[in-house]
Amino acid sequence: MIETRNLHKHFGRLHVLKGVSVQIKQGEVICVIGPSGSGKSTFLRCLNFLEESTSGQIFIDGQEITNKKETDINKVRAEVGMVFQQFNLFPHMNVLDNICLAPVKVRNLPRAEAEERARALLKKVGLLDKAEAFPDNLSGGQQQRVAIARALAMQPKVMLFDEPTSALDPEMINEVLDVMKDLGREGMTMVVVTHEMGFAREVADRVLFMDDGVIVEENSPLELFTSPVNERTKMFLSKIL
Amino acid sequence: MKYVWSWKVIVQSFPMLLAGAGLTIRLTCIAVGMGILIGTFFGIGRVAKNRLIYGLSSVYVNFIRGTPLLVQLYLVYFGIPALIGTHIDPMLAAIITMSVNSGAYVAEIVRAGIQSISRGQMEAARSLGMTYGQAMTYVIIPQTFKRIIPPLGNEFIALLKDSSIVSVIALEELVRKGYLISGRTFRSFEIWTAVAFMFLFMTLPITQLVNYTERKLKKGD
Repeated sequence: MIETRNLHKHFGRLHVLKGVSVQIKQGEVICVIGPSGSGKSTFLRCLNFLEESTSGQIFIDGQEITNKKETDINKVRAEVGMVFQQFNLFPHMNVLDNICLAPVKVRNLPRAEAEERARALLKKVGLLDKAEAFPDNLSGGQQQRVAIARALAMQPKVMLFDEPTSALDPEMINEVLDVMKDLGREGMTMVVVTHEMGFAREVADRVLFMDDGVIVEENSPLELFTSPVNERTKMFLSKIL
Repeated sequence: MKYVWSWKVIVQSFPMLLAGAGLTIRLTCIAVGMGILIGTFFGIGRVAKNRLIYGLSSVYVNFIRGTPLLVQLYLVYFGIPALIGTHIDPMLAAIITMSVNSGAYVAEIVRAGIQSISRGQMEAARSLGMTYGQAMTYVIIPQTFKRIIPPLGNEFIALLKDSSIVSVIALEELVRKGYLISGRTFRSFEIWTAVAFMFLFMTLPITQLVNYTERKLKKGD
């Protein structure tokens, strides 16, 4: 489904990704953990080209998207949903318009059909009654659930989550995680950068531990959390668990 | 010295001054309207990644902002007609000059407005598969316009006052009228006081409007 080979990313003289190779299968839920500054968000952002990797290859569905000549990056992004730490809902549109905008403009879906799909998704994230509300009038947890619905409205093949609960008040974290858990159970391929170890343990098929621009260790959550092999993994886990 | 203030001369010349003020407002409205069109275009150019578009937009903005409006007016009214051997109607010259001038200032307002929108908005739009153009059209620009209403109001006030410069090519706007009347009546003090207050009466409501929208927008943010 997704494969990266020896991915590198430089920001000027800063070497952020130092050769990341990973294979993600259809329907897998991958959690990426690690200390801040380890490159996990950058890695995620490279997967849909919000950051352009300096070298290395990225394949999505067997197609190499790092091959610029043959790839329409907009088409790739339409298939890859992304949820941000800061939600990034469009504040000048109500919830329904937020969700319908891309399906109508990018997929050329008729407005009525897009609305129908949007309402179904809102029902799924438990916010059908907020369809006409504006983002500013929603709580953080509600905004993030709308953001997930917005990404899902494009019917993506894979969903990327960039620390989706880090900007939320503690009492709102679970409502967002619950939506994500449902999504994982339905078979959505997901890559989640997170600090929520409980979520990783419960939902992830595999956990990647990143430090200093490389994947230091990867394993099932049970193995990784209970018997980490690498020293850096042990140190990180001992600090947060 | 004893100066006797004459209300009579003000009352008598009031219709003429009012006509002048009418032209001042008309000129300014047309110029700012055109300026918003031109400025939106070049303001987007000023944030473009394409070097040619960015370069052309920057040359335009810097040229206009770095030269006096009076010189620009002379260039349009005397200079270019001399070059191509023709005459230009003063009204047309004034409208062209003021529109092109206003466009450069509006372009900078639009540029600052676009750059004030958080980067996450563009990223969210692009992550949904929208092109740069779609993201600009549906996500960035609509948010920008709301934010730039107050600085656009200030631009309107600035241009309203600067429009007095077109009096030098004999367009009978408010200042030119004042000049003609005071030359005929020798009542400079009364006339220029009246002219000053008429400008004030035009700009004050706009200032109030700008303050009002600023307060309202702050609440909305």
